[in-house]
Amino acid sequence: MNITLRVFLVVSAVAVLYFVVRKIKKSKFEASDSIFWLFFIAVLVVLGAFPQVSYGLANILGFESPSNFIFLCVIAILLIRVFSLTAKVSLLRTKLDSLVQEVALDRNERAKNNGDAS
Amino acid sequence: MKLLVIIPAYNEQDCIVQTVEELRQTAPQYDYVVVNDGSKDATKSLCIEHGFNLLDLPVNIGLTGGFQAGMKYALRNGYDAAVQFDADGQHMPAYIEKLAEEMQRTNADIVIGSRFVTEKKSASMRMVGSRLISAIIKITTGTSICDPTSGMRLYNRAMIERFSSKSDFGPEPDSIAYLARKGAVVREVQVSMRERQAGESYLTFTRSIEYMMRTCISILFVQWFRS
Repeated sequence: MNITLRVFLVVSAVAVLYFVVRKIKKSKFEASDSIFWLFFIAVLVVLGAFPQVSYGLANILGFESPSNFIFLCVIAILLIRVFSLTAKVSLLRTKLDSLVQEVALDRNERAKNNGDAS
Repeated sequence: MKLLVIIPAYNEQDCIVQTVEELRQTAPQYDYVVVNDGSKDATKSLCIEHGFNLLDLPVNIGLTGGFQAGMKYALRNGYDAAVQFDADGQHMPAYIEKLAEEMQRTNADIVIGSRFVTEKKSASMRMVGSRLISAIIKITTGTSICDPTSGMRLYNRAMIERFSSKSDFGPEPDSIAYLARKGAVVREVQVSMRERQAGESYLTFTRSIEYMMRTCISILFVQWFRS
């Protein structure tokens, strides 16, 4: 694993950390979101700082090179994230739907009450 | 039987007034509610102007959520049955009574206003899709439904409760298949329908493909795992 990739991983980790901190400062991140990103940063740092880890794991899992293992790692983490986001969006959608319906039912009731009063 | 006619409307300014007026004249014994699903045109103002009973959704959430709003209205106001009715003028109000009679006679949970009980299906692409859905429903549930895509369906109180409480449960063939598999009794009554009176059909070619894919996958896969 050449030094360029290792430096790149660490630099990426620092960049991600910067963006995460910025979001937290503007309170645009929930605590649970930042957990994921801190975990992600940790993985990047470990892979970049300790190449023995990727060499060892790549060897055990039968990858041709440790960099391939790193790519797979990142892709896997992202897929898990997409999966959980899909679930989250669908939950939000359900909540939005019922909110919108309540607003409509409320409006209808109020219109009727006003009609009765006049 | 206290029956509610639910009319979901999204951008239907050209037909909504005519549809509701016809309903009020032809079937004055039934209550109705127009569900304005966040229309961008004059649908809302026309309904208010004419004094229609209106459920006004502040944003567009799609047919599933819009229809569910109507079902919640039916549930809270103690209706025994609710019928979904197109705003575009395809459905004829005169047939609502036929559906209601069938429901009372047979104690069915769902009565579909079907175009193909006694009439034959044509050979158009659309009917190929209809046949495919019918076949899948027959295989997975054992229930024969001649016109699964008909948008004119009458539901009893138990079904109103189901539609109100479940999320992502639209007035579509996959929901009917699910309910049939769970033991709901589905009957069909021959009705005739008109061409839509105005506005554009929602189903373009790509949308039709998407609709078919979604419906088939939903019946064959998703509905098996729903609680």
